[in-house]
Amino acid sequence: MSNDTVVKVENLSKKFCRNLRRSMFYGSVDVIKSMLGMNIETNTLRKDEFWAVDNVSFELKRRKSIGLIGVNGSGKSTLLRLLNGIYQPDKGRIELRGRIGALISVGAGFHPLMTGRENIYLNGAILGMSKTEIDKKFDEIVDFAEIGEFLDAPVKTYSSGMYVRLGFAIAVQAEPDILLVDEVLAVGDANFQKKCFDRILDIRKNGTSIIFVSHSVSAVERLCTECILMKHGKQIFWGNTRECVQRYFHEINQDNLLRASGPQTFGIGDVVFSNVYVYQENGDRADPNIEFGKNIIIEFDYKFFMKESNKNQVRVTIRTFEGRDVQKFLFQESSFIDDVIYPNEKIIPLKREGNARIKIVNPKLFPQTFRLDVGVAPLDKDVHLGGIANAAFFNIIHPTSEKMYLEYGNMTVTEFDYEVLSI
Amino acid sequence: MGFLKSWIFMLKNIISSREMIWQLFKRDFISGYKQSLFGIFWLLISPLVGIISWVFMNSAGILSPGDVGVPYPVYVLLGSTFWGLFMSFYSSTANSLSSGSSLILQVNFSHEALVAQQIAQTVANFIINLLVLIIVLLIFGILPSWKAIFFPLTLIPIFFIGTGIGMVVSVISVVVHDINKMVSMGLGFLMFLTPVIYAPKLQNVILQGVIKWNPMTYLIGSARDIIIYGRIENQGSYFYSCLLAAIIFMFSWRLFFLSENKVAEKL
Repeated sequence: MSNDTVVKVENLSKKFCRNLRRSMFYGSVDVIKSMLGMNIETNTLRKDEFWAVDNVSFELKRRKSIGLIGVNGSGKSTLLRLLNGIYQPDKGRIELRGRIGALISVGAGFHPLMTGRENIYLNGAILGMSKTEIDKKFDEIVDFAEIGEFLDAPVKTYSSGMYVRLGFAIAVQAEPDILLVDEVLAVGDANFQKKCFDRILDIRKNGTSIIFVSHSVSAVERLCTECILMKHGKQIFWGNTRECVQRYFHEINQDNLLRASGPQTFGIGDVVFSNVYVYQENGDRADPNIEFGKNIIIEFDYKFFMKESNKNQVRVTIRTFEGRDVQKFLFQESSFIDDVIYPNEKIIPLKREGNARIKIVNPKLFPQTFRLDVGVAPLDKDVHLGGIANAAFFNIIHPTSEKMYLEYGNMTVTEFDYEVLSI
Repeated sequence: MGFLKSWIFMLKNIISSREMIWQLFKRDFISGYKQSLFGIFWLLISPLVGIISWVFMNSAGILSPGDVGVPYPVYVLLGSTFWGLFMSFYSSTANSLSSGSSLILQVNFSHEALVAQQIAQTVANFIINLLVLIIVLLIFGILPSWKAIFFPLTLIPIFFIGTGIGMVVSVISVVVHDINKMVSMGLGFLMFLTPVIYAPKLQNVILQGVIKWNPMTYLIGSARDIIIYGRIENQGSYFYSCLLAAIIFMFSWRLFFLSENKVAEKL
């Protein structure tokens, strides 16, 4: 291990068992074997076992930070627990240099009936701090946690936010050489999240190396110069954060498009939609990848097969890949009916047949896969005249310039404006 | 790691986590009684209630304990206090890993600290029990001989055998929960094969044989006898029983050391 390396992980693997009964059985076999001093076979998988962390190797230098990203279940948290020593590796090795601290869970060992004050000493001792150390940091902890007069109340009277704040405040006092952080930042209100994040930045400034697990790509980008992308327990990329994040979005989008079911028409067929496209303004119509922050064009052809039409509402819906509605754009054919239900509803006369182009101005959709539904329904009847669900898929991809991206923090804004370019 | 090294290693772990042990001890001991009406007095009341049933059975003629040489309540209280100490050494150690499971999965620390904390808990409860003992002795006007001051030494082998069995069970019970219930049941029955509520001299030949080969007979008996009579009977058997207890303890400590890390994550 070279001099300024603080963490060195070589071919690290950890297996888990999917089946609880079998896991107990393997566990008992392993216990008996280890009690008898026999070697436990850890290299091969038994039935129902899988590698939760599979052959991971990386190195972390002093004063550097590594981010771990990947979808749920890719092995990030398991890897962090292995590094923290909570799990024992089945294969490979971990070398650590210096005192290790973990923000893996907050408030470990808190007793609900004990006061905040008592719990600070309890939790501090569990985290390996001595009494004098806690005494010294006590005011800082109380201050950071913002619990005020609740300090001497039992923690069971605390709000969940206060509870987490107190836990975090204690955990960040430990001044480790290596800090492991897992998503704990995702709790508490926005202000406290920011405070926690600033605190972690401070810790990094003081020379602590950080390994950071998060789903918040913007947080990883701010904190880490290097990044590891995990997938099914494997480390599929290790390097520059920007490249890694791009790989990550690429992976997600690729997965989503593979899983996507095709377009489905619905309604009675009085109106037919065709040639639905979503693309970046001034971009290629066939390219579904749109850079974050760029204007989006939605385009489709429509044709009415019914004789009369002047009471219809066109609905264009953007959903996340999982199906959650993000935004609906609506326009009515005529002002004949005057109750505008949706705030962004526009009244635009439709032709019998035409090509519609809608521009979404300055959308704040965060990088992921979205889908689009279009449809027409009369306002006075509960029926669909025609439409297509999953008419188009599009990916918001990571921007080439980071600046704008970081400004938005991590909030997906769903209120945005649109213009109808042609209809 | 060698035998000796692993013991030293674990001892060091316990010493270095003394702050945590103390805090956990405080948490469980103090807060355990915070929400109860009688608080700490439960510890004084429960052994008294326990012996009442034995005394009742004795006076109703259901139970004939034989000649015990002292008032029966005193005899049964002493015996059951030491037996209770053994059981509580066992059960607190056996439960140490599973009761600390949430901590184990959240924080990296020496798990020996959990065992140490449980033992401290047991010792603290026992000291309170001793108060009851002294009061009862005073009521019956029994003055122990001066040799009774050595009785704390007789608790050491009880500690060895109780925690020894407990540590093995705590590791196995992580994966097979039944083991804890099975062993507790077995030990509960073992009490009747040990002269705790009756005198060691029995008519039944088979039972006499069992009692003779049961190390608990000597381990519990000596702690009681040194208080009541100021002497230890069957010193040879007592010595071997102590040796056995020490060996069990050393081996199970070693087994705990080797295995607990491999199973802790399965909690």
